[in-house]
Amino acid sequence: MNLWNKLMCYSRRHSPWLFHMNGGSCNGCDIELIASLTPRYDAEQLGVRLEGSPRHADILCITGPITNNAVNAIKTVYDQVCGPKAVIAIGSCPATTNVFIESRTLAGPLSKHIPVDVFVPGCPPRPDAIILGVAKAAEILAERAGKKLPIAPVVMPLVGPGCGGACACGNSAEAKTEEKPQEVAQ
Amino acid sequence: MNILAMLWKNLWGGPRTMLFPKRPVVTEHFRGQVRFNPDLCTGCAICRFRCTAKAIEFKAGKGEFTWSYDPGQCTFCGRCIEGCKTHAISQDSECPPVYTTIGELKTSYTLTRKPPAKPAAAAPIPAIPASGETK
Amino acid sequence: MNLITALARLLIFPGLLFAVPAAWFFLWVERKAVARMQGRIGPPFMQPFFDFIKLLGKSTPPRTGIGGLLMRAWPFIAVSAAAGAVGLLPVLPASGGFQGDLILLLALLELPSMCIIAAGFSSGSIFGEIGSAREAVLSVSYNIVFLLAIVSIAASQHTFSLAALAHQSASPLRWLGVIAILVCLPAKLHLNPFSLPNAEQEIYSGPMTEYAGPELAMWELSHGLEWVAATGLVATLAAPVFTLWWVAALVFVALCFAIVLLLSAVAAATARLQIDTTVRFYWQCTMIFAVLAVASALFMRLRA
Repeated sequence: MNLWNKLMCYSRRHSPWLFHMNGGSCNGCDIELIASLTPRYDAEQLGVRLEGSPRHADILCITGPITNNAVNAIKTVYDQVCGPKAVIAIGSCPATTNVFIESRTLAGPLSKHIPVDVFVPGCPPRPDAIILGVAKAAEILAERAGKKLPIAPVVMPLVGPGCGGACACGNSAEAKTEEKPQEVAQ
Repeated sequence: MNILAMLWKNLWGGPRTMLFPKRPVVTEHFRGQVRFNPDLCTGCAICRFRCTAKAIEFKAGKGEFTWSYDPGQCTFCGRCIEGCKTHAISQDSECPPVYTTIGELKTSYTLTRKPPAKPAAAAPIPAIPASGETK
Repeated sequence: MNLITALARLLIFPGLLFAVPAAWFFLWVERKAVARMQGRIGPPFMQPFFDFIKLLGKSTPPRTGIGGLLMRAWPFIAVSAAAGAVGLLPVLPASGGFQGDLILLLALLELPSMCIIAAGFSSGSIFGEIGSAREAVLSVSYNIVFLLAIVSIAASQHTFSLAALAHQSASPLRWLGVIAILVCLPAKLHLNPFSLPNAEQEIYSGPMTEYAGPELAMWELSHGLEWVAATGLVATLAAPVFTLWWVAALVFVALCFAIVLLLSAVAAATARLQIDTTVRFYWQCTMIFAVLAVASALFMRLRA
């Protein structure tokens, strides 16, 4: 039913429930995430609720470069989040491992292990940037419901950022996972 | 009973929240993104050497070099700005935006090496007195 | 009370058609009032409704065996019990009722807590077990005061029929009983300072840890209906008698709203108490209320 679908899209965008998980971070990004729930920034005006269980949440927020100890826990928790789900990598550590780039205790950036939808850069990112990231993730969830995309993003070969997607030359060897909304044939 | 007075004041005093998507004005010395001025860069690569997070990449070619910066990798420490002799890079207060693909925010510049500026006609070096008489 | 009236009370007013939007409204009022008292903006108006719809669209993990069947059943039992409790409330003046429907109301108000306890144990997760154990301890503590207060109000007026209780003139004993019930309400509704089963930093959402999707939507709905039933009980006991039905309905809603605001103020002003402090509070401090209520009920019966 079209009306039900629209209602579902609207509800998904206006009710993002988060689960926060620390993948070995210095706690700076975690503190800024909690600061985004304080009166000045108030994530609850968007309907955001920080939930206690991964099964309740839609959006998984991961901080920290993923240490060897944390990888399996993060993969388990990602599987426990019920679909449709989105993943936000908060801070520059989960995206690129930041200053820890040659450390031997790390298992690599987050996108090597689970598909990531939104990256919020910063060290640590400001709480308002985190709220912008959550809003973008909620929009992505609503888009997925609207276009009936698969619940988890598909793995696609890397397309270079500056070339408009015309060719698959890329400038990095590893395949990254990225969710591209399919062009719906009208 | 202080808490009840506080709750009453909060209830009638209005919320202190910034309505989304309004963002607060940051302080004067807030460390945000690094900005690059290609005209002033001499290609010394001190910034790449000093960068703690390897956010600045430098590839030297024949007569030209490529300088690239990824705000997603950056930790905004400011060591690169301290090291640059010609002030080609500077730090402003803008936060990098939220992105969805890795490497989306990376910017690269390919610049040709400028010939070093000839120093002005140097003053002749004063002759050292041979007999050691003091001046 | 014939079948038509019973069905109307269960399904229309104060039953499901009124109670479900009222449940969402009261949940929103609580969140918004707590937010405003903390200096924040709080969620927009239809937020609990959007939460409900969104939860209906999520997938659930596979549940196998009898344990899985039970896990799926508990939220529905909780919702039906809470809806039945709301339907029994004597809001309108001519709503009828039967002798002993007070006992039925108390039993139906108990069922959601029992379902939460059972759900935590049948979910098989250790956090669920700890949360259920805490909920059980909390339930034992506040129920003694709650039941003693209600039973003493009923016994002093020689009736166990809700309609008779609500439409008789109030005695001072009734106000004592109402205060005792109000003190038990934060524990019943899992609000601060007695919100122990929901301690997120400690036990990861307690009994609800393994629930997801439509089952969680049913739990949220049963929580909202519990709000309506509990505040409605206090409102019917405290409201003056009106003959016009729409005046009675409006006064009922207004009183419920006032009680929700009062409970939100208490929730915003306090922090979560530990389990031993909670039990000590209910057994030491409020037991005196309940004992006073029972003593005066006995005294009034002996005098009458």
